[in-house]
Amino acid sequence: MSSGTLARMRGVTKRFPKVARRRDRGRAFLQLLTGWGAPTATTVLEGIDLEIRRGESLGLIGENGAGKSTLLKVLTGVLAPSEGEVRIDGSVAALLELGAGFHPEFSGRDNLRMAAALMGFAPGELEAREAEILAFADIGRYIDEPIKHYSSGMVVRLGFALVAARRPDLLITDEILAVGDEAFQRKCIRWIEDYLGGGGTLLLVSHSMYQVQKLCRHAIWLEHGRIRASGDVYDVTQDYLAAQERRIAREAGMSPQESPGTLAGVEFSLAAVRVNGHDGEAPVYLAAGDTLAIDLDVRSREGRAPVAAFGIVRADGTPVFGTTSEIAQVPATVDADGLARFRVELPNLVLLPGAYSVRFHALDPEGLRVFDTLERGFVVRGHTRELGVVRLAHRWVQPAGRG
Amino acid sequence: MTAQANHLLLRRLVEREFSQRYLGSLSGPAWALLQPLLLLAVYALVFVQILRVRLPAGDTPLDVVPFLVAGLWPWAAFAESLNRGVAAVPENAALLAKVALPRSLLVVAPVIVAFAVHGVGLVVVGIALALWGRPFDASGLLPATVAYLLLGGFTLGIALLLAAWNVFVRDVGQILGQALTLLFFLSPVFFTREMVPEAFRVAFDLNPLSIYLDLIRAALLATDVDLLPAFAKAAAVAAFALVLGLAVFQRLSPHFEDFA
Repeated sequence: MSSGTLARMRGVTKRFPKVARRRDRGRAFLQLLTGWGAPTATTVLEGIDLEIRRGESLGLIGENGAGKSTLLKVLTGVLAPSEGEVRIDGSVAALLELGAGFHPEFSGRDNLRMAAALMGFAPGELEAREAEILAFADIGRYIDEPIKHYSSGMVVRLGFALVAARRPDLLITDEILAVGDEAFQRKCIRWIEDYLGGGGTLLLVSHSMYQVQKLCRHAIWLEHGRIRASGDVYDVTQDYLAAQERRIAREAGMSPQESPGTLAGVEFSLAAVRVNGHDGEAPVYLAAGDTLAIDLDVRSREGRAPVAAFGIVRADGTPVFGTTSEIAQVPATVDADGLARFRVELPNLVLLPGAYSVRFHALDPEGLRVFDTLERGFVVRGHTRELGVVRLAHRWVQPAGRG
Repeated sequence: MTAQANHLLLRRLVEREFSQRYLGSLSGPAWALLQPLLLLAVYALVFVQILRVRLPAGDTPLDVVPFLVAGLWPWAAFAESLNRGVAAVPENAALLAKVALPRSLLVVAPVIVAFAVHGVGLVVVGIALALWGRPFDASGLLPATVAYLLLGGFTLGIALLLAAWNVFVRDVGQILGQALTLLFFLSPVFFTREMVPEAFRVAFDLNPLSIYLDLIRAALLATDVDLLPAFAKAAAVAAFALVLGLAVFQRLSPHFEDFA
């Protein structure tokens, strides 16, 4: 391992054995003991390669059930990988489910001693830091009370204080601490900033792309137990958001179906949509300045001429631009197949890099009711650091000299 | 984790196991001394006063109370170690799901505590018997301690084996109580091998616990037997159990979480 590598996974696959029936457990016991045969299993992680370098925080993103928690457990050694290897050169601490290992009957002080031993504190280390930990946790005289009398906030504070004192080489955390009161949250965030500033490394599991982009340099997108994308945090999060946006829109019924033509019973439906000639669901990649061409084929059951509409939205749902054939006064003709075909070209695209979607709509001839909606993603790539959604025409001019 | 950190963790687990036994009770660890004395009083009352048991052994009848004491306390350490050791992994399932730790320590800690508590109990009772004027041989203390520690090693091996097995097949924990009751009567605790019918003696011969219980008893009651061959056997059996238990546990423990 190179000196800059803090943690590495190579070809890690994790399978959970299927043990629905009692008999399976007994058989698995014998198989694992003797090494003859392997239990039937469900694969939850497959072929995971990742590397975390010192001081370069990594974001782990993905939908629920993608295998993020399993990946963390394999990384921290709670779970043994079925295949592949895991190496960590340094101390690791997780801010997940803080205080989960605490025993309710024992006092805060007793639990602190136990938790410190579990975290691999050296003998005497806790004693040396106890005052600092108690000050950070700020739970006063409660420290000698049984944990069962604590509020949930106090438990978390105690757990966090211990991790803070530990200063691990790798800190694993999820949504940055939506716990405790605001004052404590501020303290935690200050601590994490200080930790990162001091060369600490974060493995952040989050659904907040804002947090991931702010705190991490690299990101990994996990989908169905595999790495769907990894690399620069902006590329990965933008792609993820685009996919996410399409899924949410689909579930919210904004586009009732992904494949066109299934709403045949409705008076106006989208028979086909294309972005730059592609009719698949995979996002289309464009560069700034390219032409975006979109096609809508609207099926009209009664042969009445429909209105077509499209809108461009940012992956987070921010509308960018939209118009209809009615606004543009584009006439529609329904052909022999009952289809009205529309094509729109947007030349010299001024969108800034990011993930976007085109929403296609089929409307009645009056342009009042939306009958059908579909959505397709596209991604604008580019290396500009300009901010915002569109690149507005502008020029920097030399101010007139005042001499 | 480093060896040093593991050592600290084991110490904490032992402390916790110990304080859990007496958690919430007023006098706390004083019970560790009181319980054996109360138990001794109960046995003395039942076996000497009520049942009037006499043990025929050799020329002079053995005094029943020291005889029982020398068997019952080591037995208690053995049985409790297995019960607590096998329960340790499921009891700490929540912890194991979040923290990577050497799982064997979870089994080692209760075995250490059971043997420490009952070892102290045996010493307390031994002193009480000596004060009472019963034959309890102080010179046998060292060999008895060694035999007791060998029993501890043997027990740890069995506990590790059963704990690993129990993660996969929960029936192990369920059946353990009954199995221990049966084993209790097939071990020289209440009676010696000579007191059971010929047909059942083979069970005593095959039962490895006999080695340890007979040895501890022989040392403490100063029976005139050459202990060396028995010690060799005790050490060999303990080493075998320990190696087997550790090997099985280490092989299976990485998979515990998959079956929890």
